[in-house]
Amino acid sequence: MNIGNSGPGRIGPFEVFYPTEPALRRPQHYENHDFPGQLFVVEGIDGSGKSTQLSLLHKWLESRGYGVIFSQWNSSPLVKDTTKLGKKKKMLTPATFSLIHATDFADRIERSILPLLKAGAVVLCDRYIYTAFARDAARGMDRRWLRDLYGFAAKPTVAFYFRVQLETAIRRLVGARDGFKFYEAGMDLGLSDDPEESFRIFQGRILGEYEKMIPEFGLTVVDATLPVEIQQAQVRRIVSRHLETAKELRVRP
Amino acid sequence: MRHSYGKQLPGMDFFELAGKLIAIEGTDGAGRTTQINLLKPWLEEMGHAVLDTGMTRSHLAGEGIRRAKEGNNLGRVTQSLFYATDFIDRLENEIMPALRAGFIVLTDRYIYSLMARAIVRGVDAAWIRSIYSMALVPDAVFYLRVGVEELIPRAVFSRGFDYWESGMDVFPGHDMYESFRNYQAALLAEFDRLSAEFNFETVDASGDIGIVFAQLKSKIQRVLESSSGTAHVPKPRVERTLPSNYQFENPFVSALVASALREPSFSFQAAAPNHSNGNGNGHRVPQVK
Repeated sequence: MNIGNSGPGRIGPFEVFYPTEPALRRPQHYENHDFPGQLFVVEGIDGSGKSTQLSLLHKWLESRGYGVIFSQWNSSPLVKDTTKLGKKKKMLTPATFSLIHATDFADRIERSILPLLKAGAVVLCDRYIYTAFARDAARGMDRRWLRDLYGFAAKPTVAFYFRVQLETAIRRLVGARDGFKFYEAGMDLGLSDDPEESFRIFQGRILGEYEKMIPEFGLTVVDATLPVEIQQAQVRRIVSRHLETAKELRVRP
Repeated sequence: MRHSYGKQLPGMDFFELAGKLIAIEGTDGAGRTTQINLLKPWLEEMGHAVLDTGMTRSHLAGEGIRRAKEGNNLGRVTQSLFYATDFIDRLENEIMPALRAGFIVLTDRYIYSLMARAIVRGVDAAWIRSIYSMALVPDAVFYLRVGVEELIPRAVFSRGFDYWESGMDVFPGHDMYESFRNYQAALLAEFDRLSAEFNFETVDASGDIGIVFAQLKSKIQRVLESSSGTAHVPKPRVERTLPSNYQFENPFVSALVASALREPSFSFQAAAPNHSNGNGNGHRVPQVK
């Protein structure tokens, strides 16, 4: 994705003077990066089992001696307190929900993910920009605006999408935790007063957004109803294909 | 009828915004805050209800931005988005409700300062415009303009050189004075560019406080007499050789070009009301309180 302002096709109002050095002129655009590192991300609705799969992949890569760094959605030390405040006080609207998550992601991209990819690390992300595209569009944000917003993201080496039916995901979640969180269930949208019902409607919308993104972004679909071991074998097979050429940053001798 | 710069926020409704939105823009040290402190009591004395707002004053993100700026490890994209979060929170929770209630909203900086700061830091100009395409077009933008030579003594004798105002993140080095000069000059150049694009009313702010105040008063009088929301749409310089159905990557650009090609005297098309919040009563802002 190109968010404009490059090449000879510029038009008047968007021609801009940059006083900074040429290397700083453009933020990273969503495109194949040519860094030595590799970026693998997992996506899917809550209860799809993606975190379990990523953690198994993480341990396996470490055991093989790769320098692996794990980055979680919503974990920037500079931003997460603000997100927490907004969620706790229920202050977030669809637009500020979207922007504060983009801010968190930007901090992790700028200070951690990109420098690590440049250094040749294997970076694993639990949720990536597709989570924001799905959730924010389900909240009524403009899809084109969202894709522009995340234009600074690096394109992952592989984005795994753990596909599962809504009912299966809900069955897994209901046993495992007590109740649904306000924003997770889309309670801010006033879809239903019943958290489980609201969760069902909201996650259903998210699922619809993911389905549309499979061809748009070339997501690698994993059938998340298969046994854990079989899914993991598929994931490892795909990942190892990309690691043959990767520079290994061995953390242990 | 008011409009945004191209995109509409979910649940946002542009009808019945009776108040006036007046932006005071300018670089650091141009005297914006001083003037707002004079304008507010003047307007109140005339019987107007006034809301004054400014950067980092949102309940949501103000404190977070201040904390993040205490260190010097805030990246330029992160910084731009943190400020955008702060802005949209104030737009949705302060500015729009105040306009609906008929207030005059005086905003100390608006999206233009945020764009200028981001662009000077090397952020893609089309990207930052796309983010702020959700902003409401104000009734007037007054650009308090002071040259760099004049700014320097103001900065030195009032508050000294601050890390961010000196653009130390943009022009790293040991010399804060040099960095300040370069950064403020770059900002000024960007402001002048935005001024032409977004049709700011420039006020020479190098003079005496009282003279600037008098100028602003007469300009604001005129705004109060005019109808809401249409005074200051940008005048893009668009080449008219593009095919009329040409699709740009950036929808903001598409909307801008499309409407410029359609109408000789340019005006923004208001974004269609958003009905996609799925509760069947389109305009309602989701209840989050």
